[in-house]
Amino acid sequence: MTRYILRRLAISFGVLFVGSFLLYIMVINSGDPLEDLRQSTASNRDVLIQGRIDTMGLDLPWYQRYWDWLTGVAGCFTGNCDLGTDQTGTDVLSMLEQAATATLRLVTIATFAAIIIGIIVGILTAIRQYSGFDYAVTFLTFLFFSLPVFWAAVLLKEYGAIRFNDWIADPQISVLQAFIVGAVLAFILQAVMGGSMRRRLFTAGATGAFSVIALLYFTYVGWWRSPALGPVIVILVSLAFAVGLVALFAGLGKRRVLYATLTTVGVGSVLYFALAPLLEEPNWWLLLGLLVSAVVVGLVVGYFWGGYSRGQAMAMSAITAVFMAGMTFADHLVYAWHGFLELKPRPISTIGASTPNFQGDFWETTLDWGTQLILPTILLTLISVATYSRYTRSSMLETMNQDYVRTARSKGLSERTVITKHAFRNALIPITTIIALDFAALIGGAVITETVFGWNGMGAMFREGLDHVDPNPVMAFFLVTGTAAVVMNLVADLAYASLDPRIRR
Amino acid sequence: MTIIDETPAQPVQGGAVLSFTDLEIKFNTEFGRVHAVKGITLEVNPGEVLALVGESGSGKSVTSTSALGLLPRNATVNGAISVAGKSVDSMSDRSLRKMRGDDVAMVFQEPMTALNPVLTVRTQMIEALELHGKAYGKDAEARAVELLTMVGIPDPERRIKQYPHEFSGGQRQRIVIAMALSCDPTVIIADEPTTALDVTVQAEILDLLRSLKDELNTGILLITHSMGVVADMADRVAVMYKGDLVEQGSAQEVLTRPQHEYTKRLLEAVPKLGSRGETAPVVQEEGPKALEVHDLVVEYHRQGKEPFRAVDGVSLSVKRGEIVGLVGESGSGKSTIARCALGLIPAASGEVAILGEDITQMSRKPLKELRRRIGVVFQDPASSLNPRLPVGDCIAEPMDVHSIGDSKSRREKVAELLDAVELPRSVANRYPHELSGGQRQRVSIARALSLDPEFLVADEPTSALDVSVQASVLKMFTHLQEQYNFGCLFVSHDLAVIDMLADHVVVLKDGKVVEQGARHKVLADPQEEYTKRLLMAAPVPDPAEQRARREQRYAFMKEIGEEDHGLHIEHDDSARGNGPNQPFNSSGLGGLAGGH
Amino acid sequence: MSEERRDSAMQGSPEPLPHAGVEIDEPKFADKSYSQGQLVRRRFFRHKGALAGLAVLILITLLAFTSIGIGPLPGWWDKDFTTTGSVINGGRPTMGWFYLGEHPFGQDTTGRDYFAMVMRGTQISLVIAFTVGILSTIIGTLIGAIAGYYRGWTESLLMRVTDLFIIIPLLVFAAVLGQIAGGAGIFALAVALAFVTWTGLARLVRGEVLSLREREFVSAAQAIGTGSWRIIMRHILPNTIGVIIVATTFAIASAILLETSLSFLGFGVQPPDISLGSLISDYQTAFTSRPWLFWFPGLFILAIALSVNFIGDGLRDAFDPRQGKDG
Repeated sequence: MTRYILRRLAISFGVLFVGSFLLYIMVINSGDPLEDLRQSTASNRDVLIQGRIDTMGLDLPWYQRYWDWLTGVAGCFTGNCDLGTDQTGTDVLSMLEQAATATLRLVTIATFAAIIIGIIVGILTAIRQYSGFDYAVTFLTFLFFSLPVFWAAVLLKEYGAIRFNDWIADPQISVLQAFIVGAVLAFILQAVMGGSMRRRLFTAGATGAFSVIALLYFTYVGWWRSPALGPVIVILVSLAFAVGLVALFAGLGKRRVLYATLTTVGVGSVLYFALAPLLEEPNWWLLLGLLVSAVVVGLVVGYFWGGYSRGQAMAMSAITAVFMAGMTFADHLVYAWHGFLELKPRPISTIGASTPNFQGDFWETTLDWGTQLILPTILLTLISVATYSRYTRSSMLETMNQDYVRTARSKGLSERTVITKHAFRNALIPITTIIALDFAALIGGAVITETVFGWNGMGAMFREGLDHVDPNPVMAFFLVTGTAAVVMNLVADLAYASLDPRIRR
Repeated sequence: MTIIDETPAQPVQGGAVLSFTDLEIKFNTEFGRVHAVKGITLEVNPGEVLALVGESGSGKSVTSTSALGLLPRNATVNGAISVAGKSVDSMSDRSLRKMRGDDVAMVFQEPMTALNPVLTVRTQMIEALELHGKAYGKDAEARAVELLTMVGIPDPERRIKQYPHEFSGGQRQRIVIAMALSCDPTVIIADEPTTALDVTVQAEILDLLRSLKDELNTGILLITHSMGVVADMADRVAVMYKGDLVEQGSAQEVLTRPQHEYTKRLLEAVPKLGSRGETAPVVQEEGPKALEVHDLVVEYHRQGKEPFRAVDGVSLSVKRGEIVGLVGESGSGKSTIARCALGLIPAASGEVAILGEDITQMSRKPLKELRRRIGVVFQDPASSLNPRLPVGDCIAEPMDVHSIGDSKSRREKVAELLDAVELPRSVANRYPHELSGGQRQRVSIARALSLDPEFLVADEPTSALDVSVQASVLKMFTHLQEQYNFGCLFVSHDLAVIDMLADHVVVLKDGKVVEQGARHKVLADPQEEYTKRLLMAAPVPDPAEQRARREQRYAFMKEIGEEDHGLHIEHDDSARGNGPNQPFNSSGLGGLAGGH
Repeated sequence: MSEERRDSAMQGSPEPLPHAGVEIDEPKFADKSYSQGQLVRRRFFRHKGALAGLAVLILITLLAFTSIGIGPLPGWWDKDFTTTGSVINGGRPTMGWFYLGEHPFGQDTTGRDYFAMVMRGTQISLVIAFTVGILSTIIGTLIGAIAGYYRGWTESLLMRVTDLFIIIPLLVFAAVLGQIAGGAGIFALAVALAFVTWTGLARLVRGEVLSLREREFVSAAQAIGTGSWRIIMRHILPNTIGVIIVATTFAIASAILLETSLSFLGFGVQPPDISLGSLISDYQTAFTSRPWLFWFPGLFILAIALSVNFIGDGLRDAFDPRQGKDG
């Protein structure tokens, strides 16, 4: 296995090298780097031209320029990176550091969201093949496939940001609006849950009634501007999650697993109150430490409750603990919303990666980040969700037809176990590869999203570089996407090997 | 070994463990409604093996699947099905699931795909035990190990942690059987449990199944197309034909005195070992032999591993006008030799001479010239014809490639060949998917004969066909061979087929020749242990004769010191599965190998 | 079940003649037999989404090409996409439910007829998309088939080139090429885009060929001395036609999006040419003041891409009934 991976890595770096060469040559031949200066009417035109020729090394032969760039990059392995300068003489490496953080944050969040949503939707559509829900999702995926990103982005800016900001200034939901939203939610949920006519009606009724009441209540108490979850909701939702998780993946018959997750929620509730002062003004390291300790608590609880199903109990408790930690985090975040609105009356931004000159506490800054990130993330997520759900669906349908699924059914396993334990793990194998390969393409795709939302990310760097026939920023962009692709390929190989025992060596 | 009673086993208690009454199953398909099962009534008693026999498409698998309520959604079921006294058709999903595995368990045809490749054997075995509340955690694992010991998996404590791909096909089928046994089902449905296995492994698995019903009083519904398996296993037989039950009775009765026309035809079609007496050896005329292979070695290269030697120092020859049967089990290298003799894969060393010309040393042009004189028929009727070409073009393709004749003469030749393989001339305009498997194989033969070959390679040409179709194809093949008088290398795993056809037999094992000689000599008086084992393992469609053969096989196995393949359980351990720490006797049932 | 369905030879001896052969799984075959093409057509025309997609695509194509004409051929619409004029009524669309009016899609800021401009953009986008789709299919099929059949270094080279396209994002590659080719007219752009989009199909075809070359009819063809080229052209490629057609359709759909994205970024169609993407790019800031300048080209892109995608889905169902209803 190790040998195989090393071989793959060597080949990938070889390809990376060839790619860099090709790209460099293509970029420097894509136009005239002096075009704007030649047309300029400035009196010091010739000086400017000569200056640019010197910074960019335009008087050197192409191989010399490529070689200079390559030796600069090679320096990265010995600790002194030199990615050259752009046409104005700015150091590309420092540009890249800033740009890459913004872009990678965007792409990573979008990828994770897309994986989770896409796989869940894919499984649901596979289970409910040829239902109304399946057809609706199929239509939506095709719609997202066919959507010009830049066009959708403008729409999202208009309706997701501008109109929302108008609304949040004075949030009102009329009774009619509440009923419409309730009806839509009710319809969607009954289609997802399926079952007999009676069960569907019940699901729809309960969902509809709950949403209408919640919407009207929230509006009445002014929740939209000063929301809060509070300990009751955090604990109740965590309990529901714990029970749901066990029911879905272990079966409620496994009492020890159930007790382990419930105990975890109990411990979490105590910690919720105990840690409240600490969370007034935290930092990211503290939060990370708390997350790790949550996992540890979950594992320990699972270990002591586990008995014969120790492994499962530990995993489920840890997941529950992480979920609860997330809920607690969300609780604080939601609580900060009111103060945030005071600081920033129009919360959702359409331009840029952070609000200039924003001053606030930890939670408010986090909210600012979030509101900046939300629209481009939604956009990137939607498109990836379409791909992933489609792949998951067909992969699930394929595995559901396999002999071993029939064997599993003939043992008397419930459909839930057949799907989560037998079909899904096998279906995951091809999906992993696709997701890993897609990550690099997504960074490429982020170019458009960043352009529309005016982010100063790698997309802008690439676009301006190419526009000015300036190779160094373009190559820096390539280095990041290329390395990401190589790394993700490696991850795909490892994931493949861990999922499929047949190829472990 | 326990002797199978000739009369049906008496129901021990409470009547049938599995029964179908007026069962009718229909499918809604793209092409309309299909009536797969047309009202059949069947029952299986405890401790009894009922064999459900029929060829592909007779509805036998559909019938069995309906007992577990596992038919696809487009099926409609009418009639009554009951398992262990409970009616299946009125069951809720929940009680259906409780019944599956607990009351009725299933053993499927394909052991290679029946187990989940990404879960360990341990996980897959434990889940049924825990689900049906038989044992949990460590207890369940101990029980699973015990079950694996019972079905004869060596070193079960270690191997239970392995994944399915680390086991051989026969072992996987044992694991599937162990899984089926795990909850003490009252009835086991075995759907072609040995079809995908080699004949020696088949004999072992059948031994195992036989001991199940004797030791555990389990009822078994055995679905099979092989009359030999029926004779070896069944107490009673039910014959299905196009969704109808045409005959039912004790195994002895049905196999020796069939009443229905179809059953008679089916039995007649079964190739029988030793039915053809001694024949005169073929005498080579003038000139070079059709095929001469000398010290052939073929290796497959694998990344990062030692090359795998599929054929290791094989020498054989085919005279003109002679049929040489190349026989062996899967992995013996027989198909590799055939492909190498066609020049499709290179030899690592050794000589292959066709019609006197060494093809390992040949350049492209003369090789093409030589290929004009060779014909080939492959195994799989589904993939041996190009689906995009009409049958006529398929047959004319070799003439087209070698630019022989004009289109008119080719058409005539095609018509002539279709006559020769007993297909109507109108077939020429049809596409392969419109033909049945047997018809496609006839087309393959017609294509192989289109250039009047002097040497023909037939790689298992009938093994994917139903037995009645196989019989007619083989008859036609023999007839054509006499007419065209080509030399033929005939590859098969079926000794009876080889016996019907060949003049000379070569027995292969693990890439090496075990034994070769004139057909009658090798098959009637084998010298080597392996050949004997192969011959003994092949079941014959007569219960009495098969019993005698079985006893003979047990005696032989004892002689060569091999373990029996029955259920390995201790007799006085009356409360099975009581405690994991109870010692069990892994040497198995006391008198199993000795015979009663 | 599989055994029941695989083969339905259910005869005794003597074996009955063709029509009686199939009884259980395909009963209607006995009376009426379908060729592969008929089956595909039948299944395709039962796919409502695909039919709707086909209708929409034909409609849009006809509209785009007949309205303003092609090259020297005049169309039925009396305005062209270059003539500026006075802006009437703030350039708002004059289209109503039952009439078109003077400027059905309104006018741009310089008074050009926006309907004519959108039609011109549609024409160019369609031409580029289909050229790219077809060209990349040809390149991809040939390279995939050769790599899959001959194996060896051809195959390694192809795999490395594919890796190259994974490492350099498609959009980046296309942008660089578009920047180089964009000024040289739309066909140069189409060729450049085809050059970067063939790898997916090549991989797909290679996979198909790899499995087909193990099929026995290919071995049979080799055994009788058929040349490699003939095997590829006559025995292998015809059997991948379904995969190829489906992939071409999806390639066309993604080519539309690729071209419009590039034009939006400024690396695609260069002025004075118009594409739907460049129209959106030019008027994206006009969303609040003149929303129609933004809506119409976007909706046209969406409609074209969506209908092509649905056609592709229908074709896939038609060629590969495994994913279809009732197996």
